[in-house]
Amino acid sequence: MPYYLLLSRSITHAQRMSALLERAGITARFSRPPMGLTDRSCGYAVHIGAERLTAALDCLRAGGLWPSKIFYYSGGAYSEVII
Amino acid sequence: MIYFDSAATTLQKPASVSAAAAKAIQTMTTPGRGDHPAARAAAELMLKLRTEAADYFGVSSPENVILTYNATHGLNIAIKSLVSPGDTVVISGYEHNAVTRPLEAIGDVSVKVVNGRLFDREQMAEGFRRALEDRPSAVISTHVSNVYGYELPIDRIAALCREKGVPLIVDASQSAGILPVNLEKWGAAYVAMPGHKGLYGPQGTGLLLCGEGRLPGTLLEGGTGSLSRQQEMPDFLPDRLEAGTHNIHGAAGLLEGLRFVRGVGSDRVRRQEAAVMEVLKKGLAKKGWRVLGEGSVLSAVPPREAPETMADRLAEKGVAVRAGLHCAPLAHMTGGTADTGTVRFSASVFNTPAEAEKVLAMV
Repeated sequence: MPYYLLLSRSITHAQRMSALLERAGITARFSRPPMGLTDRSCGYAVHIGAERLTAALDCLRAGGLWPSKIFYYSGGAYSEVII
Repeated sequence: MIYFDSAATTLQKPASVSAAAAKAIQTMTTPGRGDHPAARAAAELMLKLRTEAADYFGVSSPENVILTYNATHGLNIAIKSLVSPGDTVVISGYEHNAVTRPLEAIGDVSVKVVNGRLFDREQMAEGFRRALEDRPSAVISTHVSNVYGYELPIDRIAALCREKGVPLIVDASQSAGILPVNLEKWGAAYVAMPGHKGLYGPQGTGLLLCGEGRLPGTLLEGGTGSLSRQQEMPDFLPDRLEAGTHNIHGAAGLLEGLRFVRGVGSDRVRRQEAAVMEVLKKGLAKKGWRVLGEGSVLSAVPPREAPETMADRLAEKGVAVRAGLHCAPLAHMTGGTADTGTVRFSASVFNTPAEAEKVLAMV
């Protein structure tokens, strides 16, 4: 299943993004992303269903939170999404 | 035991505090390391603590709430972030060694002490107004004296700091959980508090509230579970100030302590504690003691015995108080009790007027 990864600088920031999205009804589990996706290693990321990206970003923007990077996962590979 | 030493550590805690700490030992590790349930439970707990503390103490973001070992730890981070050798700093005459010793350790710091008569808030505010004319690097003030319970005019001191653009550090060791503490309202750079006093958390816990717009220096460096390849500490909070494994069981207890205080209400805590202290204050004065105190803390000098002897005698009878200088020699010099020290009586919400009457019958 394709999905988006919203990268975050810290676990606390990722938790806050996840909690905000979940409160808005968007399933948003956080976990460690593959190290190759992070510039400085050991980050966190929030998983978003492929169809929920726009709603998720609107929600995060309104809540004053923003990911450091966004990746799209499909067919076994990640590609960076530039917003 | 009748316990009147809560200005050091509250001994009676809500049952929820020890239950939460015990549960955390069995079920939680630390946030930001593994991604397993025990690590995730710890992360959830820490976010709850940061979020609820931010809400209660007026902090804009949960990320600006730092878990420390105690107030001294937080004060060291705050002071060493803002003060360098060669700087001038303004402090009140009622500061604890947790403020004066870090300043001494930095070295070559010009420390201007604002003195003022005990309980004379007008004079204290005027003293700060004059001292701020010289544009110091920082102002450090306790909210409430740990020796006398004296509530300093912190709202006015904060307003003066905002007006002059001078960063303010507030030591809320004796006020958190008892008086309104609000970082944003004060516009303070930092507010430090212990978890184990008026917040009824376990020893080994504290909170440092960080204002927006400045990056604190680090007191400890080490693993944070973030940016592992980078050798400098992360440039974001809370990771920058929380190196090493967290005191998670302490944090679990502290969260329950904070909830307890919010549930009871700090107004009620303050009123109950002051009512108990009032009984002691009047009774000791009648027996010829020199009594100095307000709110939840009072210092007293017995008429015929050294404070230490009196405290020992009370301990033998099952009464816990503290004698001496209470780690605040500067406050004793300002308040006029440096030669003798005092017997300090300090209340928690669990004390009763009946306990105060029992103590009076023993002295």
